[in-house]
Amino acid sequence: MTIAMQPIYTQTVGSGGAASITFNNIPQTFTDLKLVVSARTSRNVGVTDDFGIRFNSQNTTYSVTAIQGSGTAASSFRVTGASTVSNIITNSNASTANAFSSADIYISNYTSANFKSVIIDAVQESNGTESYQRLIAGLWQNTSAITTISLIPDNSFLQHSTFTLYGITKG
Amino acid sequence: MSMVWIASATATGSTSSVEFTSIPQTFTHLQIRVFAKTAGTGAFDSISMNINGGLGEARHDVYGTGSAVGSSNAATSFFIYIGGTAQFGVAIVDILDYTNTNKTKVSRSICGVDNNGSGLAALTSGLELNTTAITSLTFIAGVPNLAAGSRFDLYGITTSSVTGA
Repeated sequence: MTIAMQPIYTQTVGSGGAASITFNNIPQTFTDLKLVVSARTSRNVGVTDDFGIRFNSQNTTYSVTAIQGSGTAASSFRVTGASTVSNIITNSNASTANAFSSADIYISNYTSANFKSVIIDAVQESNGTESYQRLIAGLWQNTSAITTISLIPDNSFLQHSTFTLYGITKG
Repeated sequence: MSMVWIASATATGSTSSVEFTSIPQTFTHLQIRVFAKTAGTGAFDSISMNINGGLGEARHDVYGTGSAVGSSNAATSFFIYIGGTAQFGVAIVDILDYTNTNKTKVSRSICGVDNNGSGLAALTSGLELNTTAITSLTFIAGVPNLAAGSRFDLYGITTSSVTGA
């Protein structure tokens, strides 16, 4: 029986925080990858912060298109020429206490010789009017198979932030 | 095995809510997959989700209706959009780290319904301030009832003991 979704790696941030999270030596035996993230950063202004994902330590040729809700307004934006698949929303340390963001990051055909396409749904919650939801389509213009993934916040990830990488296998 | 079916609840047409109780504490994340509509008259409807019988503190969303986009908020329970008078809608709800007592409980869903000329698609979120582990979930339609055939499937999701660092 083929296991369709299998946890590969999990990292949990300890009391010292983490400037970034990296998954190395990603097996090349799956079809797609899925990252599940529950995070909070050390930023002390506003309710949100962002993080990006970087493949194989390469910091060029990333872009995103996104739709966003703020709790009161919907908008859309695009970023090109970025150093990561960027603008993945997360909770800042000025947001509601003990609230961590929730994100699902899907990376399709990660071993193929195509450019790498990503779809992300991410939310951060705060006990107030302002909170953000983002649906992001991302692209890495590189044909290499993905062997490492780094998650890089604008500010450090805080303790209890969790990150799990899953391998998805087609039939 | 990382995604394990826990339980299902199917509406009969005479119920306004479905509940999952005694949720096992042996997983890391929960996912609820919903196929549902109400007996309402609109193109879509919404149902709330209560955690451990609580009312929740905040919910937010971003949505599109085919002719408009918007974002809303309320100081109430997390909710999802489902079908109304016509088609069944679909939602996938994720609750991460549901047993972690260091975290408030944040719910996230992609959801919506299309009726071939009307409908809505949305990304919704909700906040339960209580950090207690989740042992029950209740989906509440209120008035009108959930339509017969509406189904809610609860899954538990595991993680890895290997860090890959």
